[in-house]
Amino acid sequence: MTAEKAQEPAAQEQTQPAAHEPRPHEPRPHEPTPAETTMQLPRVRDIGPLDPTIQLQKVQEPAGVEPPTREIPPQPPAPDTAVSEAAEAVCEPTAPDTVMTCPNCGEPIWPDDNFCQACSTELAPAVSSGEQAAEAVAACPTCKDSTISPEGYCESCGYKVPSGRDHVELDLGLVAGVTDRGQRHTRNEDAMALATANSVSGPVALSVVCDGVSTSSNPDEASQKAAQSAVQVLLSAVRSGSDLAKASARAVMSAQKALADMAQEADLFANAPSATFVSAVVTTTEATVCWLGDSRAYWIDAAGPAESRQLTVDDSVAQELIKTGLMSEAEALASPQGHVVTGWIGADAGDAKPHVSVITPEGPGLVLLCSDGLWNYRPDAAGIAELAGPDAISEPLRAAGKLVTFANEQGGSDNITVTLIPFPPRRRPDATDEIDPEATATYAATQT
Amino acid sequence: MSQSDFTVEVFQNEYLAAGAREVNAIVTVTAPDSLPAAADSGGAGRAEIIIVDCSGSMDYPHAKIVQARAATAAALDVVSDGVAFAMIAGTEVARPVYPLDGTLATMSPQTRQMAKQVAANLRPGGGTAMGSWLRLARQMFGSNPATLRHAILLTDGKNEHEAPEALTAAISQCEGFFNCDCRGVGTDWQVAELRRISTTLLGTVDIVPDPAGLTADFESMIATAMGKAVADVALRVWTPQSAQTKFVRQVAPTVDDLTGRRNATGPQAGDYPTGAWAGGESRDYHVCVEVNAAAIGQEMLAARVSLMVGDQAQGQGLVRALWTDDEALSTRINSNVAHYTGQAELAQAIQDGLEARKSGDEELATARLGRAVALAQESGNEDTAKLLAKVVDVVDAASGTVRLKKKVDDADEMALDTRSTKTVRTKK
Repeated sequence: MTAEKAQEPAAQEQTQPAAHEPRPHEPRPHEPTPAETTMQLPRVRDIGPLDPTIQLQKVQEPAGVEPPTREIPPQPPAPDTAVSEAAEAVCEPTAPDTVMTCPNCGEPIWPDDNFCQACSTELAPAVSSGEQAAEAVAACPTCKDSTISPEGYCESCGYKVPSGRDHVELDLGLVAGVTDRGQRHTRNEDAMALATANSVSGPVALSVVCDGVSTSSNPDEASQKAAQSAVQVLLSAVRSGSDLAKASARAVMSAQKALADMAQEADLFANAPSATFVSAVVTTTEATVCWLGDSRAYWIDAAGPAESRQLTVDDSVAQELIKTGLMSEAEALASPQGHVVTGWIGADAGDAKPHVSVITPEGPGLVLLCSDGLWNYRPDAAGIAELAGPDAISEPLRAAGKLVTFANEQGGSDNITVTLIPFPPRRRPDATDEIDPEATATYAATQT
Repeated sequence: MSQSDFTVEVFQNEYLAAGAREVNAIVTVTAPDSLPAAADSGGAGRAEIIIVDCSGSMDYPHAKIVQARAATAAALDVVSDGVAFAMIAGTEVARPVYPLDGTLATMSPQTRQMAKQVAANLRPGGGTAMGSWLRLARQMFGSNPATLRHAILLTDGKNEHEAPEALTAAISQCEGFFNCDCRGVGTDWQVAELRRISTTLLGTVDIVPDPAGLTADFESMIATAMGKAVADVALRVWTPQSAQTKFVRQVAPTVDDLTGRRNATGPQAGDYPTGAWAGGESRDYHVCVEVNAAAIGQEMLAARVSLMVGDQAQGQGLVRALWTDDEALSTRINSNVAHYTGQAELAQAIQDGLEARKSGDEELATARLGRAVALAQESGNEDTAKLLAKVVDVVDAASGTVRLKKKVDDADEMALDTRSTKTVRTKK
C-alpha cells in the first residue's frame, strides 16, 4: 500500500476481551463498533434444509481394498439455533463406499480429524499466498524464452516475469481469497493466509490479510511473515478450543514478533518492516474480527446489500479527521495524509494494541476481509456487497475474483486482496485445497 | 556475493514516461578492501617499466634531465622488492638501459642500487619516437609472467621522429597489455599525443611544468601502481535483445569515454576494460541504454552491469526501467545522473573551448569556456574552476560570462587541458 505510518502513533484504542468466560448460549460481550450500533440485527431466517448432496472431499480407494468401518462418536449437544443444526449435519460421516485417507501414511482419516491419528500429519494446514513465491514462472510470457534470471527478468527480452505472488487464488472450501499486485506497483506487498479446522462445535474457517507498508523495509516479506505466523496461532487456538478473542490478540503478538525478528536479523530498525493486520475466525455461531491498521472487515449479508456493514474502524489519519467531525469521509480520504496509518504491526509499532470485535449474525452472509487496494475504490459495505453479488455465499472464490477485477478496472493503483468466509461455514463440492495453477497461468498469459 | 566481490550500486530514476526509451544510471563500483591479490606475495606478479625521454631537448634546460634522473631514482625507491622492473631510454629508438638484455630484473636492494646508478647516468641526445618506446616495453613485459603491468612514460616534446600511424599502430599493439601513465615536462609537448596513449592504455596524463615537480609525481605514480591488487578488470554490460548501449563513460575520478573500447562478449553483452584496481578503490560510471518502450506498468531489466575479473563475475548491479503515466515520477532526474551529466559536459566544454581558442575562433572559445565556468561553479568543482580562471577572466560565474585572457601561459592552458577530466564526486 502507498500509505505511510504516522510518526507518532496516536494513543491506541484498547479492547480487552471479557475477563470471564461467557456461559454457554450467552452471547460474548463485544466492543460495539460504530457500524454495529446502528445495525439492525438481521432477523432470524429459516435457511431451509441443507443440501444433502454436499459431500466432503474424498480419495477413491483402489478397488479390492476393504474400507474400514468406524463407530460414529457421540456429537456434543448443539446450541439451540437453526444455524448450528445445519453445521452439525455437515459432520455426518461420508457414505460408506468411499473413505478418506491420510495423504502422508494412507491410513484412514475421519472428517472431524485435524491430525492423522496414525502419523500425526496435519490434515488441513494453513495456506498463505506467499508460499509459492519461490516458484518462478517457467517461461517469459512476452517472448516465450525460458531463461529467467534469478531476479525474475527474462534473459532475452528483459521483461520482468510475473512473480509467484503477483496473483494468487486460494480456495479451501470454507474460505477463499484472491490477492493481486494491481496495475501500478511492481510487486505485491499484500499477503493472505487461510485455514480451516474442525472444532467441537463444528467447522471453523479463518483468514488473515496483511498489507505491507510500502515505505518500510521489505514490506512484501513483512506481510507474508506476519500473515503466516498469525494464522498458525489462530489455527492452534481453534483446534484446542481456546477463547478466540484472546487468540486473535495473541496472533497479532506473534505477527509482531515475526516482524521484530525480521528487523533484528537484517538490522532494519531504521525503517522497521511493517504491515497492517486484519483477521477473522468464523465459527458456526459467530465471527471474531481483529485488526490494526486500515485493512478492513465487512459483514456481507445474504439478505441484501443494505443489510451489509463495515465491521472495523481504520487506524488512519483519515479516520482521526472524520472523528473530529471537521471532514466528511470522502474529504478525509482524499486529503494528502489521509492514508497514513496510525496503527500497524512492526518493530516500531510501540505497544499498539489490536482491536477485537465479535459479531453474532442471526442469518447467513459472508465475512469479507480486504486491503485498502479494494476499499479505496468502494469504501461502503453496500457497494462491496453489490459488487460481490448474490452468489458470493455459494461461490466465494468467484466473488473475490470479481472484486479484484473491479479494483483493477478502476485503476489498480495499489495491491488488492480480498478473502471471503461464508457464514455459517459449510463445505462446498468441488473446492480444491491448493493454489489454482490455472488461475496463475491465465494471469501470466494476459501480461503480454 | 562473496567477500571478495566488488560492490556495485546503481543510482537512477527507473520511471519512464509512456513511449520513453532512454535509461540512464550512475553505477558506483567499489573494489573490496581485501582483493584476492594476484600479487601480494612480496610483489611477485607485478611489473614496472620506467620510460624516460632522452632526446636532445631534455638538456635544454639542463634541469630537465637532472630532475628526470632524480625522479627515476626516487621512483625505484618506491618500487617494492620482488617486483619485476626495467628502465628504457627513449629517443628515436628505444634502448633498454636496465637490464640491458631486454628482460625484466627483480627488485632487491642490490638491483635497486645498480638501477639507480644507471638512472643517474642517463644521457640526453637524439630524437623522439614514442611508438618504438611502447613496443619495446610490450616486448619486455611479454618476457615476464607478471600480470599487473604498469609503465611510466615521460617526454618533453612532440613525436617528431615517427609517423602518426606508427604511433597509432604501436598503441594498438599495447592495448590491453599494460597500463601506462604519461607525463609531459615543460610545455613543448602535445597534450593530444600523450592523451591518445594514456586513454587507450588506461592511464593518466598530466603536465609537470617545472622539472622540480617530477620526483613527487613519479613517486606518487609508482605508489599508486604498487597499490593495485587485481589487473584486467572489465565492466560487462548486458542488455536485453533489441536494446542498445548508447554509451558507457567513467565519470569519477575522471571522465573517460569507454564506449569505443567495447569488446562484444555475446549477442547481448559487451566488456569495457577498466585496467587494474586497488583494494577499496571506487569509480563511478554513467551507463546509458536505449530499450524498446514497454506498456505502462511493465517492468524491464534495461541493463545488468557486472564486474569481470577474468571469467568470474565478482559483483553486479541492475539497471531497471518501469513505465508509468505518473508524471511526478517520470520527470524526476536522479541527482547523480544530473551531476555527472554536468561533469561530462564540463569536460567537453573545456575541450571544445581550448580547441576553438587554438584555431582562433574567439567567439566559440568564449562561449564554451564560459559554459565550463558555469558548470564548474554549479557542481562545486573548485579545482577545475581555478584552472579555468587562468585561461579566462570570470565576469560572472553563475551565468558563465567570461572574457578570454589576452595572454595565457602555455603551462596553464595545458594544465587545464590535461586536468579537465577530473570530476568531483557527488554526495550520495
